[in-house]
Amino acid sequence: MSFQLSDVSKLIPEFLLIVIALFVLAGDMFGRWRKDDAGYVDRVNEAATMTLFGLGFAFLVTIIQGGFLLPKLGVTFQSVQPSAWWDIPSHLTNVLTNLRSSGLDSTILGGGFVIDPLTHIGRLVFIGAAIVTVILTMSARPSNSPGEFYALILFSTLGMILMTAAGELIMIYLGIEMTSIPLYVLAGYFRRNKLSAEAGVKYYIFGALSSAILLFGMSLVLGMTLMNAPAAQGEVPMVPTSLPAIALAVQNAFATPNDPGQAVLLLGLIFMIAGMAYKVAVVPFHSWAPDVYQGAPTTMTAFISTASKTAGFFLLYRVLLTGFGAPQTTGTAALVGESGGLAFGGWASIIAIIAALTMLLGNLAAMPQTNAKRMLAYSSIAHAGFLLLGLVGISRDSGVALVYYLVVYTITNLGAFGIMALIEDQVGGTEINDLNGLGKRAPMLAFMLTIFVLSLAGIPPLSGFFAKFYIFIVAWQEGAKWLVILAVANTVISLFYYLRMLKAMYIAEPDSDKPVTATFGARSVMMAAMLLVLALGVVPNIIYGALEQVAISIAAR
Amino acid sequence: MYLIKNLPTNIPYLSLIWLLPLIGALIIMFIPREQKNAMRWTAAIFAGASFFVALLVFFGYNPDAPGYLGTKMQFVEKIAWLPQVGMTYFLGADGISLPLLVLNGLVIFTGVFISWNIEDRVKEYFVLLLILVVGVYGVFMSLDLFLMFVFYELAVLPMYLLIGIWGSTRKEYGAMKLTIYLMIGSALVIVGMVAVYVVTGTFDMVVLSQTIFSRTFQIVFFLPIFVGFAVLAGMFPFHTWSPTGHVAAPTAVSMLHAGVLMKLGAYGALRVGLWLMPAGAQYWLPFIAVITLMNVVYGASIAMVQRDFKYVIGYSSVSHMGLVMLALAAANETALNGAVMQMFAHGVMTALFFAVVGRMVYERTHTRQLPELGGLMKVMPFAFVVFIIASLSSMGMPGTAGFMAEFTIFTGVMQFNPWIAAIAAISIPITAAYVLRVGYMAFMGEVKDPHFYELPPLTWQEKFAGTTLAIVVIGVGLFPSIIMDLIGTGVEPIAQRILDVAPVLAGR
Repeated sequence: MSFQLSDVSKLIPEFLLIVIALFVLAGDMFGRWRKDDAGYVDRVNEAATMTLFGLGFAFLVTIIQGGFLLPKLGVTFQSVQPSAWWDIPSHLTNVLTNLRSSGLDSTILGGGFVIDPLTHIGRLVFIGAAIVTVILTMSARPSNSPGEFYALILFSTLGMILMTAAGELIMIYLGIEMTSIPLYVLAGYFRRNKLSAEAGVKYYIFGALSSAILLFGMSLVLGMTLMNAPAAQGEVPMVPTSLPAIALAVQNAFATPNDPGQAVLLLGLIFMIAGMAYKVAVVPFHSWAPDVYQGAPTTMTAFISTASKTAGFFLLYRVLLTGFGAPQTTGTAALVGESGGLAFGGWASIIAIIAALTMLLGNLAAMPQTNAKRMLAYSSIAHAGFLLLGLVGISRDSGVALVYYLVVYTITNLGAFGIMALIEDQVGGTEINDLNGLGKRAPMLAFMLTIFVLSLAGIPPLSGFFAKFYIFIVAWQEGAKWLVILAVANTVISLFYYLRMLKAMYIAEPDSDKPVTATFGARSVMMAAMLLVLALGVVPNIIYGALEQVAISIAAR
Repeated sequence: MYLIKNLPTNIPYLSLIWLLPLIGALIIMFIPREQKNAMRWTAAIFAGASFFVALLVFFGYNPDAPGYLGTKMQFVEKIAWLPQVGMTYFLGADGISLPLLVLNGLVIFTGVFISWNIEDRVKEYFVLLLILVVGVYGVFMSLDLFLMFVFYELAVLPMYLLIGIWGSTRKEYGAMKLTIYLMIGSALVIVGMVAVYVVTGTFDMVVLSQTIFSRTFQIVFFLPIFVGFAVLAGMFPFHTWSPTGHVAAPTAVSMLHAGVLMKLGAYGALRVGLWLMPAGAQYWLPFIAVITLMNVVYGASIAMVQRDFKYVIGYSSVSHMGLVMLALAAANETALNGAVMQMFAHGVMTALFFAVVGRMVYERTHTRQLPELGGLMKVMPFAFVVFIIASLSSMGMPGTAGFMAEFTIFTGVMQFNPWIAAIAAISIPITAAYVLRVGYMAFMGEVKDPHFYELPPLTWQEKFAGTTLAIVVIGVGLFPSIIMDLIGTGVEPIAQRILDVAPVLAGR
């Protein structure tokens, strides 16, 4: 079960990220840069370009490894005997085939790193989000030492992949810290700006606290799995911190009524949920989010609010379903709880209540905001509430709905914050008033922002609508009817503040007639995001199959 | 009217109807900003083309032919969309949807001509207008609940910008109020849809219409669906957005809004509420009938005392749509016939009203206050003539479209409950009174303001639009069978289903 050399091929994207990060750092450190502005621009360009190439390559590798492309290209999983050393097509086929076979479902590092469809989707989402962020920063140029800046983005991306792929408590913790620590630095990157410095410190303190809570919960759970250790010493010994071992402990504890272990497990679970809930910014662990989102450089806000939150949800999804989601066959009270019910039986009801609070607070608090970034921050809290609807049940459809929503949310919010970053760059502020008359000053940017905002509001035929609708359906199926009704009411509330952005852009008169422009790279990446938002809404079946694989593989464990 | 006997069958007519305005919108997006006339003509051509296809389908519908799977649906198009979730791209048209498709085509076609004088941000205006129309068309022909909802929201949202940017009188307030009300309505519909889906696992309305839900389920979920759609139809007490919105909206948008969009609500209530949940309908409709009386009588009374010309028309819409909802509540075949007929008649008539009030009068005189108007007949006789034609239809004068509609509705409601019919009939004299009152105050008497003599003459676009609408009002009034026969074939299965299913379930 220990690390084998052949596992390297399974971790190619992760190794790529590390290597590129080191190269970016080294390139910046050892390069002979001129001290003037032009030299600085060169530094940024070099670091960003190298980062982009690395991320792009990792993205390609993931597409092939995850099997998103090869079946469609008609490449079968069979090695070909090259006719000669110069038979390049055969070699290429072999490379591709081997790459794909290294991405088949497996567990490495003693259960620490799980390779399954969820991991592949996670890699795609995070690397994709990082690519968008990097392109945006190239036009916004926030950094005073570009090497570190881009290396930190890469490290954080790596951490997110670890969070998604982690199948074991220590790896989970490592993943969370690996994600968060670079993000603390990035949030406070404008250290001379008061808000940014505040964002960094606040993010760090809350993060540290929640890590402690998470560790405490883990230790309680670990205690229970260690008690079960003898049972787990079957043919294949289980690592006591791994999620399957936890699942076994849960099963054993709930096999007999009134087993004291039940309470310990539940307590541990609550602490773990609390620790992870901080990452996804749900009530009551949300209070850092508005300040951090508002204070951080806008491009970083885009990254934090999307990729980091998505990673948190992937983690919650895997931990809850694999570790604590085993269907209880014994007839005693299940740890999963009555889906969506109010009876405090397990995590489903905890999640349901958190979801209700999060939606309400996020939407109501977003209404009076005058700063667009802060408003979007509350909106993303509200979205976390909607997302939790996908976790009130353990059905396969819930998984599909959740992951679909996450993918859509990531693209949409990247777009919304991305456009805000471009506007801030030119207009100099992120107040809603700064958007005034954008429909005249920058019709294309305004149009794209409109699409993103409407998708967040859940207007068909954009993908945000389908995501919401689908998650409502699965939550209703799980019996959380009251929660769905509340959520539907919340979508109406949310419309109120989303419309304010539209009003500013199209109805209000601009302060100046100066056109707002953006670089070609930024414009095209935003355009791509917009087209994706449209496409995923009109024809959701293009990714439905892949998401179904995710849900099946998670439910099977 | 089965006039065109041999329509080629291999053309996706219905898709074409909604795709044409969409293509028009896309083309307008790429026309340079300065070429305003090019945009206007593009909009007119594509709106006209879709109107033409709608007419083709209308006259090519064979009422005697068997439809899709035992329904009267023809021109059916069905493509799997997301089969795992039971969603299909599923279009079809029957005797209820066809007149409404034609109505929508007519109103947008004339609406484009009426908005010829828009100068500010022409591109955005026509793009949004056409997208709005795409949504409306889509709702009238979707047979998949999910698809229908997608189109429904597509029709609602552009309204916010259309009113907010090009509107008048408290436009931001009106736009926000309208959008929030309609979104509350659609939220109610979502709840109903989700519940229906979870029980059946499909959004296919033909399948759903052959499913019999349990009585309790119908009673619980008929209400959100019906009320959700009824908000858009302006049912009391959710009607206040409609006069405010109509007044704030630019003319063509008022025409579309009062003329077609409110019909979406009534259509949805009929198609989804009554068709899918007859037992729920049976249970709730008596209450709803009483509430709609408020619409009918109260709406008319409020219209009586308005000083703002547009508010009069706005409240008259509330009153007339109340008649439609009352007819739906009566839910017998005669009343439903009348309801659909009234949707058509009111659509054309109210579009004509708004064309006169919003475009011909207000944009010249820049006032809508009745006491400040007067004697306009001498200045713009054409506007007066078409206004009187619309007024006659509004009063339900024989020979106009409104007569046939109101007569049928009152007959049907009489069968349902004579007392309710009697109370609703109070609205008839009130309607006559307020219509004649505004006609008198605005058009007759002395010319109040000498500047009125210097007003620019009516343009050919206005005359074209006004004439077209007026011809339809009178033509349908004189030959109601063009539409009535068709409506009958569409309404009959729904009325029959209520008769068949409801008593069976009520006994359980």
